[in-house]
Parts: sequence; structure tokens; C-alpha cells
Amino acid sequence: MSAQTQLAADEKPWRRAGEKPFIRINRLTKKFGEFVAVDDVSLDVYQSELFCLLGGSGSGKSTLLRMLAGFETPTSGTIEIDGQDMANIPSHDRPTNMMFQSYALFPHMSVEQNIAYGLKRDGVASSEVSDRVADMLSLVQMSDFGKRKPDQLSGGQRQRVALARSLIKRPKLLLLDEPLGALDKKLREETQFELIKIQESLGITFIVVTHDQEEAMTLATRIGVMNYGEIVQVGEPPEIYEYPTSRFVADFIGSVNMFEGRVKEDDKDYVRIASDEAGTDIHVGHGVSCAPDQKLWFAIRPEKLELRRKRPDGDFNILKGMVEDVAYMGNLSVFRIKLDSGKIVKATQSNRVRRDDEAISWDEEVYLTWDETAGVVLQS
Amino acid sequence: MTEAVVNSKPFQWTAKFLAKFGLSGRGLVIAVPTLWLLVFFLIPFIVVLKISFAEAMIARPPYSKLIEPTDSGFAINFSFLSYQYLVEDGLYLAAYGSSLRIAFFSTLFALLIGYPMAYFIARSSGQWRNILLMLVIMPFWTSFLLRVYAWIGILKGNGYINNLLLSLGIINEPLVMMQTDFAVYVGIVYTYLPFMILPLYANLVKLDGSLLEASSDLGAKPIMTFLTITLPLSLPGILAGCMLVFIPVVGEFVIPALLGGPDTNMIGRVLWDEFFRNRDWPTASAVAIIMLLVLVLPIMLLQKAQDGQNQDKSGI
Repeated sequence: MSAQTQLAADEKPWRRAGEKPFIRINRLTKKFGEFVAVDDVSLDVYQSELFCLLGGSGSGKSTLLRMLAGFETPTSGTIEIDGQDMANIPSHDRPTNMMFQSYALFPHMSVEQNIAYGLKRDGVASSEVSDRVADMLSLVQMSDFGKRKPDQLSGGQRQRVALARSLIKRPKLLLLDEPLGALDKKLREETQFELIKIQESLGITFIVVTHDQEEAMTLATRIGVMNYGEIVQVGEPPEIYEYPTSRFVADFIGSVNMFEGRVKEDDKDYVRIASDEAGTDIHVGHGVSCAPDQKLWFAIRPEKLELRRKRPDGDFNILKGMVEDVAYMGNLSVFRIKLDSGKIVKATQSNRVRRDDEAISWDEEVYLTWDETAGVVLQS
Repeated sequence: MTEAVVNSKPFQWTAKFLAKFGLSGRGLVIAVPTLWLLVFFLIPFIVVLKISFAEAMIARPPYSKLIEPTDSGFAINFSFLSYQYLVEDGLYLAAYGSSLRIAFFSTLFALLIGYPMAYFIARSSGQWRNILLMLVIMPFWTSFLLRVYAWIGILKGNGYINNLLLSLGIINEPLVMMQTDFAVYVGIVYTYLPFMILPLYANLVKLDGSLLEASSDLGAKPIMTFLTITLPLSLPGILAGCMLVFIPVVGEFVIPALLGGPDTNMIGRVLWDEFFRNRDWPTASAVAIIMLLVLVLPIMLLQKAQDGQNQDKSGI
């Protein structure tokens, strides 16, 4: 359908045909009574990936993670890690470690004891344990805090201890459940990059569960978007953002304007969509495989809309409306424009000038236009 | 609503009136339990302490006065005879020792039986949890005495256990269970088990399941997780349960009297005999005071240990 196919095969293993996946999830289903938490999920994750499972609450992402860790038994389907089937392997024998959303630090143990716990269970010699704990503490920049108890640490420090504890055994696969969820915004942004740095330096495969799409975008090599227990789309962050395959994904990731319409002209190189909601014909600059007169949705991101006072030339891709609201966000302004059909369209403009007296303001009549390749046609 | 009450005139007047006597709202709240403890605990304790320093005599009341008016004022007659008697007569020391021993082992048995029960209740699902807790508390609905009597029916020579074993042909003649230490242990553990289970349950139910998962995730087998995570974190519950069982069992009178034999020599029984058979109130009082000291010391040590733990948590 689109530019996905134009991306050249390169270093990235998931783009190479025939590459052997490191983690292979095959038709995995988990039911709690009648409720289907994870519904027939198949997914391949490759060595050293930082894969994000993204979804709202109740989408099944945490259940999927817990099945990988061995805390939940799948109702059906298989999990393979590094060629080894995980069925009947209890969590304490799996080559995985998990960083819990609540961190789950042992409150009666010091930071050092917490981090050393996994190694001690494996019977590693105590001199080696203390060396490796010291290494881990310096990796997460917590060397001065080894003797403290978890409740004497701040949220950010606890997060680091939890990370160190889950990394010390060098698991084949590290599972992270909302790893940055409990941190404030500023700290979260700093920690994101640190997490990527650590992941790249150790080369351990990470699977991260998050509900925060920005976090997923920043961290992930690839994102799997989950909804109602199913994985609805898997792709690299730009792919997910620019080429969503369904209305759910388009709407869940970032903000989007969606217009319902019907196919008017269908050609090899373009499609024309008539949309009452938009009040204009929508011209899409590439072919779409669809039936004549089929119902479709056209999705376009707010930053791809161009805002003008004067009507642009042409007879398609032009919306007309009144500025209902302007939200000044600092780096950009968000315009809410009410079209004649009553639909509200969002458009953003970056504030390149410090003070713009000519800026479009409340209750002005404006036109919106866009490039013929700026939007996405969705069929479901 | 509450604000309206607080701001109302009558409330303000009352508060001002009380303030004249140095009473604030907080003072009043604390005053009630303080008064209760004073009247029903401290004063009786002082009376008992006073009697323990007197001498037994045939009189009414059956002990000498500590302060006696004489021709030239007052004479104070402090007597340590009762305490001396306690130390010299081996019976009392043996009774203390035997009480502590029985209390110790009963507590241990109650812990060994109660811990798995509390753990199981805490780990079961919501509706089952309530039913099981109900079952633990249910015996309290029947009189304690009746329940101990019921044990006589179960344990005696032609009781249920012996009849069952005889009819099954496992034994040829009845086992002697009544009037032994065994019967006393059964009675005590049975009676005090809820006091062990409830604080343990309250502790274990708070245990964060993700800690157990984290332990397993880091490679600990279930038994290791129990020893390194569950057990240390439930220590406050264990201590509370043990205290609630140990302390009353040391002074237990009814169970050894009903189920125990002549050689079950517990301090509660000695105290009863001194008081009612010998009418030796000073010795009985001294027995009670010593028992209190024996019990207060471990409690104070425990509290100090717990305070230390709390400080450990709050201090940096």
C-alpha cells in the first residue's frame, strides 16, 4: 500500500527475510474465565531489540509480559526464547528477568542485598557477587547508596535499583513493566535515554510494556500496538506514526483528524474521496486497493495541515472553517477549527516568531490545506 | 457539617470553659483511657503490691497492715517474708519453670499450626477468605469452659478417640490422655490458636505478591522465597501472635485444672491454691507480682527491638 515496501533492507534483522527470531510467540492465548486477556497473539522479537508493547489499560500487554516471565500459564500457544520452548519451565528457571512496575524491591534488604539476590540464588561465590554488585551500582550511578534500604530512596533511585537488580544476572530477555511510569516527566525523559544507553551497551533484548506512546516512540526499535488482547500493528516508530493501518492505531498514537468518506474516483495513481464531513473532495496521491463507492477513512495529523486566511487554489483538499479555540503550548500553538459540517479539526503551527501580531486568532475564517501524500487512507 | 459544629457558639463556649481547667479536646480524648487504666489497672496493681509486702494472719482481711498506728505515731511493717518463701520453697520456682515451659511449647505448636493456616487464608480468594476467617473466629461464640469440657469427652478413657481406635482394632486398651501434659497442650493450643492466626493473617494478607514474583523471577525456588522473603517480612506478625499466646498461657489456670493431672504444676494453679485453700494472700500476691515481672521483661525487650526497627526505617 505504501512506502513501507520502499524501505530498503538493511542492518535491522526484522527487515531481513529469513532472519531467525530470538523470541518467538506463536498463537498465544490467555483466558481468565470467559475473559480473553490475550487473544491469539503471534510475534517475533529479534536479538538485542528494544521492543515496546503499547496499549491502553486492559489491552493485555501486561498479561503477555507475565506469560513471558512465567507468572501466568498460557491457555494455548507457545513461547520460545532462544530456540527453547518455555512451556513447563517455572519462572525461577527461565532465562528472563523482570523489572516490576512497582519495582518490587525487598523492603527488608539493603540496596546491595536486593541487587545481589539473584546471584546468591544461583550460588555465585560471594567475592564475585560483591564485584558484580559494585559494577551494577556504578552502571546505574547508585554507588553511594548501596547500604540504604529501599524506603530511604527517592522514586528515581528505586527505579535504578530495580533496573540493576533485574540486569545483574545478564538475562537473555529483560521484561520491563511500565519502567518509567512512576517517575515525573523531567526525570522520565532523562531516564529514557539512559535506558537506551544501557540496553545498547549490554546488548540484552528488552521487551517494554507501556501505555505512554511518547515513551514507546523514544525507546523502541519496534512497537507492537495492542488492543483488546490482540496485536493490531507492529512496526518501527515512524512507521506506526506515519502509516497506521487502522483507525485505532492512528487515533491511539498521537492526535489525528479523521474524515469518513466514500471512494469517488479510483485510479492507479490516485484516489478521490468524497467526504461530507470534510466538505471537500480528498485527493490522495497514490493508488488504494478498494472497491468503487467503498466507505473509507482519511486520517491526517494536525501538524501536516497548513493554515491560511485566503482560499488556496484548486478544488480539493481544502477545508473551510472558523477558529474556535487557540491553545498556546509554547513551542507550538494548537488550533481547533470548526468546519461548516460541525466537525472540529485540530491543526498545529510551530511558533517560529516570538511575537506574531499577524497570528491567526479566535473567530477568524480560515482555510486548511495539505499535500496529497500527507494523509493516510484507512479501511478499518 | 463538622465545621458548622466547631464554629457554633455552644461548642466555642464549652471549649473555652474546659480550657480554664487546662483541658483541650486532645486531652479529653486521652483522659478516658488513662482514667480507665488508672482505676482498673494501676490501683488494683498497687493494692496487690501492698498485700505482697504484708504478712499472713488470721484476721479480716487475712493479712497484716503495712502502716499501723502506735502510741507514738505510725509504724511501717514491710515484710519480705512472702518473697523469701517463694525463693526458698522449690515448689514455686518449679511452677514458674513449668508454666514457662508449657507456655513456650504451646506457643511453638500454635505457631507451627497457625502459620500455614494464616498463610493459606491470606492467599485464598476474597469470598473463601471471609468464610475461613469466620471459621477461625467461630469457636468464640461458644463458652470457653464448654469447649474445654468438650475436650474431656474427646480425650477421656472411654472418650471418642479411644472408642474409635478400639473399634478399629488399632489399640487393645484405652490410651491415657486425660490428666497428662499432653491434654494440657491440646487444650491450650486449641484455645489459643485464633490468637496466633489472626495477627499472622493480618500481616500475611498485606504481603505484596509482586515481591514473591520478583524473588521467583530472580531464580529462587518456592521454599527459598519463603525463607528469604515471606518469613522475614512476617516477623512482626509472628512476634505479635507469639506474645498474644505466650503471655496469657503463662498464667493459665482453667485448662491445666480441667485437663491436667496432679503433676501439671502451673503458676495459675499455685496462685489459686495459695489464695483460696491456704488463704495466704501475701504469698498469692507475691506470686502474681513475680509473674508480672517475668512477663513484663520480655515484652519490654520486644518493644525496644521493634522501636529500633522503626527507627531504622525512618532514619537515614
